[in-house]
Amino acid sequence: MATDLAPPPVKAARVDRRKPSRGRALWRYRWLYLLLIPGLAYFLVFKYVPMRGLQIAFQDFVPFLGYNGSQWVGFKHFEDLFTGPDFGRLMYNTLVLALLNIVFVFPAPIIVALMLNELRINILKRSVQSLIYIPHFLSWTIVASLTYILFSVDYGVLAGWIHEIVGGQKIDYVAQPEWFRPIIILQTLWKTTGWTTIIYLAALAGVNHELYEAARMDGAGRWRQLWHVTLPAIRPTIVVMAILMSGNLLDMSFEQIWLMTNNLNRATADVFDTFTYYVGINQGAFSYATAVGLFKGVAGVLLIFGSNWLAKRLGQRGLF
Amino acid sequence: MSVNQYRSVGSRIFDAINIAALVGLGLITLLPLLYVLAGSFASESEISSRTFFLWPEKFVTSTYEYIFATDVFIRALLTTIVVTLVGTVIQLALTLTMAYPLAKRYLPGRALVLNLVIFTVVFSGGIIPTYLVVRDLGLLNSYWALILPLAINPFYLIIVKSFFQELPEALEEAARIDGCTEMGVFWKIVLPLSKPIIATFSLFYAVGIWNDYMSPLLYIDDSSKWTLQVLVRQLTGADAQNALSAMETVFFPTQGLKFAVVVIATLPILCFYPFLQKHFVKGVLIGSVKE
Amino acid sequence: MAGALTLTTALLASACSGTGGGGESSQADADTITFMTQLFGTAPSPQGELHQAIEKFLGKKIKVTWVPNAEYQEKVNVTLASSNIPDVMVVDPKSPAFGKAAQAGAFWDLTDKIKKYPNLVGDEKVLLNSSINGKIYGPYRTRPLLRSAVMIRKDWLEKVGLEAPKTTDDLYEIAKAFTEKDPDGNGKKDTYGLIIPKWPGTTFAASSPFNVIDVWFGAPNNWGERDGKLVPEFDTPEFFEANRFMKKMIGEGLVNPDWNTLDTAKWNDPFVQGKGGIIIDVDVRTTQLLDLLKEQDPQNYGDKVLTVGNLSRPDGKKFSLPFSGYKDILAVSKQRVRTDAQLDELLKTLDKLASKEGQILLTNGIEGRNFKVENGEAVLINQDDPKVKQLQDDVDKAFIQLGTQASTGTAGIAYPRVPPEEPYRKDLAERKERVAEDLKTAVFDPSLPVVSPTAVEKGATLNPIVTDARIKYLAGQITEDQLKAEIKRWYDSGGTQIAQEINDLVSKLGQ
Repeated sequence: MATDLAPPPVKAARVDRRKPSRGRALWRYRWLYLLLIPGLAYFLVFKYVPMRGLQIAFQDFVPFLGYNGSQWVGFKHFEDLFTGPDFGRLMYNTLVLALLNIVFVFPAPIIVALMLNELRINILKRSVQSLIYIPHFLSWTIVASLTYILFSVDYGVLAGWIHEIVGGQKIDYVAQPEWFRPIIILQTLWKTTGWTTIIYLAALAGVNHELYEAARMDGAGRWRQLWHVTLPAIRPTIVVMAILMSGNLLDMSFEQIWLMTNNLNRATADVFDTFTYYVGINQGAFSYATAVGLFKGVAGVLLIFGSNWLAKRLGQRGLF
Repeated sequence: MSVNQYRSVGSRIFDAINIAALVGLGLITLLPLLYVLAGSFASESEISSRTFFLWPEKFVTSTYEYIFATDVFIRALLTTIVVTLVGTVIQLALTLTMAYPLAKRYLPGRALVLNLVIFTVVFSGGIIPTYLVVRDLGLLNSYWALILPLAINPFYLIIVKSFFQELPEALEEAARIDGCTEMGVFWKIVLPLSKPIIATFSLFYAVGIWNDYMSPLLYIDDSSKWTLQVLVRQLTGADAQNALSAMETVFFPTQGLKFAVVVIATLPILCFYPFLQKHFVKGVLIGSVKE
Repeated sequence: MAGALTLTTALLASACSGTGGGGESSQADADTITFMTQLFGTAPSPQGELHQAIEKFLGKKIKVTWVPNAEYQEKVNVTLASSNIPDVMVVDPKSPAFGKAAQAGAFWDLTDKIKKYPNLVGDEKVLLNSSINGKIYGPYRTRPLLRSAVMIRKDWLEKVGLEAPKTTDDLYEIAKAFTEKDPDGNGKKDTYGLIIPKWPGTTFAASSPFNVIDVWFGAPNNWGERDGKLVPEFDTPEFFEANRFMKKMIGEGLVNPDWNTLDTAKWNDPFVQGKGGIIIDVDVRTTQLLDLLKEQDPQNYGDKVLTVGNLSRPDGKKFSLPFSGYKDILAVSKQRVRTDAQLDELLKTLDKLASKEGQILLTNGIEGRNFKVENGEAVLINQDDPKVKQLQDDVDKAFIQLGTQASTGTAGIAYPRVPPEEPYRKDLAERKERVAEDLKTAVFDPSLPVVSPTAVEKGATLNPIVTDARIKYLAGQITEDQLKAEIKRWYDSGGTQIAQEINDLVSKLGQ
């Protein structure tokens, strides 16, 4: 490190922090850089060294032969992916689920956090808070079997009630392709909402009380306080969460979807992640799965940077 | 605090609906767990013959007797607790120290590092390349393999960073003028102000390690070092791949056993949250800061 | 910062040299054999009684990497990549990961060598089934060759006054009576005949109840010869016959309404609850049903299950569905076992382990400790002693996985385990006769030893076509003509090529 520079007084850090020369900056912010090092080392060692593995998307990777021994096949796996007869359907199904996630799953924890924020019975608030994150701990297998308990055409509790009220033909919710997406979204809502709510609750904990006082002075009611104080306070968190979510938009929970797929609903159920699994069963998925991962990654990068740009255009801070 | 605003009719109706909705939400998340709990104390034929219940007709403890017949479970539980505690401290330390400089917009090189981090949200090398790194570091069969490869979650890092950015700059400036070094500012000002976020992510990290079964499975060959989740997977078994071998009726874990294992693996970590809750009290410190 | 960089560079360097080929992996040492296999309970301790007994018997140390069953394939993959392959690895020979590794030279081809070790050969037909296009990579773990059966609520059968079924028509009559004649006597029409679950996976021939019924009607078991050529199960008139039969049953409500979605793990439930009365599956399910019914009714549970074998089709001709007869093989790593001499030494040890005495250790345990022998059968003893219980668990949930000529579900050359209660004993005795009888009419799958490259390449796209179409046909969503169109689509999308390859590979085997 550059040590030949005379150390400027610490207090001077405040003045003229805009354009210091490189060496001077390094010294001036030495403590900040020092704090950065362990984390940076982590990312290099455990995230970037393994990324050499991405090359197998262009190989016919055989684990035993390793990177150097496996055969190079160029863009074969990408061709298989894009020109395969299933691509259009997989893309469509994945995008529809992604869209439903944005519309229903993303806002849910924000709404719940705001509702909890308005709750003034403390004991109730605490109990509900500690209850709603329980589903995060139950595996998809259990979620799936609970879904059957509710919706099975044979013994489904909820399906039975609905049938009694509505009448008509019994609907096989878990088998029919048109019910697949609603059920998946319901499952995701149930399992993840409470968990993500915690992040927004933490953000709400940081809201300055005086802002509420001031709003009240101005005669703002609850609705307006929510709109003009609470929401703006957690807006940065919402923006960050939205941008981050966009990066993984095309990732679906494989196990969840796999468990709810059957011979009748495959037309709507198959997404990239489940199809990759079937390719894996048949031919060993390393290279193909990596190619799919790269494709999703490129899409994810575009989405992240795109939404970050959009956020900034809209006057938000964005990620960086 | 004035309470007038809550007295209007509209406000009361809102409160009533709000309370009803949240209680309902609490119930639909609680009921399944109660079912699992009841099922863990029920006989196998009762689980097969009743669709849903919250209280077993006949109270049976054989599943728990089976689980605790050997010291394997206790040992795994203790191991998991230690790994979780140590791991969470390390993860938090690395995340907080890295997030703080990244929150400083004036820091040269910050954008580059942030780009590097965000890139890893989207791309990952995969299981085998990561395994090779862990092996080359000599971490196989070591508990460090359960902690270090997951030491920072880029997702969490970015959220923490954005929280730091929301902290009032004025306070940090004041501290600097008083002669605090950056380290001092970080330690004495930033961390105490970040209690809710520290509480949140200590929970997230702890639960992450607690629920991780892939790392011990891949990196730990010595079965005496297995953590709780490996045993859980072992006994609940009915995951996606396993269902394929349904025809291979070798050892079918009973439903009751599956439920009991879920209970044992979930309860300890569930108890974690209430302790953290006090840090979520509104405006812990920030309320006292003048911007 | 510089320090961190140096560390990273060092890592990069070592990571580069570390993969593949197995340059620097440790060589086998003559006194220790390393294994990797599945585990179903908690892992046995190397100091455990059974582990020690096996080492003493072999005169060698053994080291076993126990891997939870659910994640076995994942662990196999990283192990193959790690240049740390154990001497002996339990693998599915037909899994693509193994096939490619074997092709790349990770494992010994034992085709010409295995015959020299008599205990490793087992049944030659099954050994061939476990090969890759005739190449044998290790001894197979035996499984019952014939295990398909029909389980029926015996008490219901008596209630509706019907006999045990012999033909598919009988089955239809029973299912109809179970649905319409109130077999549980509660005055409500709330029962059904046949219980069918959602079959996991997309592979067409997957020993599902539908496959069993196809074969009963005379369709091939996966592939079969018609006019001198091998054709798939679904390209035969008998297949359509079988599906018309099934469609009729489903259409008339004789099958559980959730047959599309019922979880295989909950297959027993309707039977035990008294909602449905017939299951078509492997015969060992009878034991599970007895277990569950016993909890409900400890006195009369034996009178509630009747198990019969494969059924004849309406014209009286009988065809039975056999299985492959094996599950996984014990493959020998070339990475650690380098020379022919080392290989010979290892195979000798495996041969010893595969002897009657060795298989008894692995699948029964230690005579006089956890079991005794009566009339050539194993009877469990001392099970109240926690140490013996541990020993028993080590057998049942761990070491039995290394059994080759004796295994789960079939005693093979070891002692059959006799359950204490009469209904179980009766079931076991009947099973023996039933299997012997059904084997006479077994329709074997000639394609088992071969792997079609196109099926590997395009399986993910091709497999669901006919599998889904059949279910949609049965559910009444598509007509028979549409089902035929889907079969044609299968042929057009690559099926023709698969058929060609299967025919070529199988005829090459015959030479």
